[in-house]
Amino acid sequence: MGKRLLSLLMASAALSGFAEAKTVIHVMHQGDPGWVATYGDVAKRFEAANPDVDIELIYAPHDAYNEKFSAAVMSRQLPDIMELDAPFLANYVWSGYLQPIKPLIDQDVLDDMTESNIAQGTYPVDKDLYAVGLTDSSVVLYGNRKYLEAIGARIPKGVDDAWTREEFEGYLEKLSKLDGVKWPIDTFRGYGIKTEWITYAYGPVLQSAGCDLIDRSTWKSVGTLDSDACVDAMAMMQTWVKNGWVVPQSSGTNQFFAEGHPAALAMGGHWFYAEAAASMKDDVVVMPLPKFGPKGASPNGTWIWGITTASEHPDIAGKFISFMLKDKQFRDYARDDSAYPGLKSFAADSPLYDAGGPMAVAFEQASKTAVARPPHPAYPIITSAFMGAVDEIFNGGDVKAALTAAAEKIDEDIDENDGYPPFDEQP
Amino acid sequence: MTLQQSALPTTVTATHPASRRDRSRLYQEIGMLAPAVILLTIFLIVPFLLSFWTAMTNQPLVPRPTPVRFIGFNNFLRILRDDLFWTSLWNVSRFTFWILPVQCGLAFATAMLLHQKLPFRNFFRGLFFLPAITSMVVVCVIWGTLFQYPTGPLNQVIGFLSGGSIQPIDWLGDPEWAMFSIVLLSAWQAYGFQMIIYLAGLQGIPDELYDAARIDGANAFQRFWHVTMPGLRPTHVFVLVITTIQAFKLYTQVAILTQGGPKSSTETVVHYMVRSGFEEQKLGHASAVSVILFLIVLVIALLQRQLLRRYDV
Repeated sequence: MGKRLLSLLMASAALSGFAEAKTVIHVMHQGDPGWVATYGDVAKRFEAANPDVDIELIYAPHDAYNEKFSAAVMSRQLPDIMELDAPFLANYVWSGYLQPIKPLIDQDVLDDMTESNIAQGTYPVDKDLYAVGLTDSSVVLYGNRKYLEAIGARIPKGVDDAWTREEFEGYLEKLSKLDGVKWPIDTFRGYGIKTEWITYAYGPVLQSAGCDLIDRSTWKSVGTLDSDACVDAMAMMQTWVKNGWVVPQSSGTNQFFAEGHPAALAMGGHWFYAEAAASMKDDVVVMPLPKFGPKGASPNGTWIWGITTASEHPDIAGKFISFMLKDKQFRDYARDDSAYPGLKSFAADSPLYDAGGPMAVAFEQASKTAVARPPHPAYPIITSAFMGAVDEIFNGGDVKAALTAAAEKIDEDIDENDGYPPFDEQP
Repeated sequence: MTLQQSALPTTVTATHPASRRDRSRLYQEIGMLAPAVILLTIFLIVPFLLSFWTAMTNQPLVPRPTPVRFIGFNNFLRILRDDLFWTSLWNVSRFTFWILPVQCGLAFATAMLLHQKLPFRNFFRGLFFLPAITSMVVVCVIWGTLFQYPTGPLNQVIGFLSGGSIQPIDWLGDPEWAMFSIVLLSAWQAYGFQMIIYLAGLQGIPDELYDAARIDGANAFQRFWHVTMPGLRPTHVFVLVITTIQAFKLYTQVAILTQGGPKSSTETVVHYMVRSGFEEQKLGHASAVSVILFLIVLVIALLQRQLLRRYDV
């Protein structure tokens, strides 16, 4: 795959050598090898349709994407188009890197966007749209049908009858004693301790328990992240780990469908379905995330496409994004990867998420329980501080102390930046 | 030093031709010094002054709409109040404390072995040196697989050798083990370098000393203790000092394998610095860490000078 991209880059470099008149559009993106190849193919098709444009793809690996982006900013080499993780949007817009995208994207694509897709691309201060995507995302609870039947677990039909905390913890305990189950649940600790997964997937546990990473009206974390509700929720997760119920970090990320199915449940992203279903077929049960407190909560937001303020050809960049989101092969690849629809027309093509489809629950969560990550320019610190606290807590540290330290770190950063105006003026 | 020495004769012999010659020599010396002085200024002194200045501001990594302010020693105070910084400093010290005997001991033992007149000894020297020229990133990826829990090769070997009585160890996921695992892999990767230095040191000990000891009736252990060890004293000091300084810069292994976890048990000063600079985008804060790290390494370097002087190297 890498070779293909390389030869593509070389070819485009060679072409631009003797065809000076061409407009070059730089596109920075992340993704696994399959996605990288797919973007390459889309770019080729776009170039065939627009012979005067060269699309130059810049691949930045997922794990270091934000660092790579900072480097691009500092060296004044911002691409025209950048793929970005939705919760970082506020930081990028506040810092002045993204331009409003509405006038640049085809109207039919804009009309096609789902509510949650519009929400993830919108900057909360000016309510303008800065990024669009084909997809959104969610996390669900996967279960192994055989194990669930063995312990007589109730299988929820939809979001409204999700497991309660008592049910969920009771099942974990029963599963831990069941033959063949090595770990009752995989929470994907194998993704590492410095990954956005932590805030993305575990943040909703806090929101479900009745607290949050930061108060979303005063933008203060002390008093919220270290509140009793949050301490209780994180202490609960710590207990699961202490009891040996959670797949350890060093055991990889596929214990749910690995040889012998050692993990009974998996709190996993929508992208996990394709792999799990391919290996376990009908044994995969998809359930909503449990209700850990007064209300249900689930994450949303994914990697979407924005146009930077550095772009000299924003109209062509917009044309490319519109072209890509409508591209049939691109959509086919996304559908096979169990991508979560963010465009209504793409949802219609995705029987997986349709009513009655195996992932319908995930789609239902989007409208009923989804809570976006805090749309604040301090998000890089919010997420980094929370990751540190989770690592401390999962390894037996004091819950209250870890959350207090994280909350103080967040507030300190906001103070240092004078409250990130105009966020300090928000009610 | 050099400038003073050249200035000295000028005052003694005050005749015109000599002074002209001296002056031209002075210019020559300045000219020869210039490249080094200019390069050191551009790449060492200016960056250090800049980072010291940056450490006194709330400079973010990338430009922001809010103004950059001078905040004095706030960054330093914040670092000194941050438990994570002290944890990282403690971790690096722990790492150094373990890596010195493990790595230098391993290097010394293999050097002693390979100093014998063994068949194929050059081949073995190359073989043992191989990890040292392998990229640390590659080594980390390989060892990451070896360390896997609970079914990784290392755990299987231990389980097999102990007949299953030793439970699998979560090498990188257990706060009690993580730093030790990094010590193991780092020592294995880098000991070849120290081994070469020891080999050179061993070759520098004259054979006559051994012959004399033999004539005096010294046995193998006495020859080792009374000839080899004293002969290697400067080598020991040198190896210990460079290993200490290298150990303080521990970063790659942590960045790839543990990201400072679990429970901050492998957080190091350099990793802490990179994290605050790039992940949290606080360049001022990161610069302050770098200044502190510089001071720590400076102290070690000064101690090194003292040690080397004492042993007359």
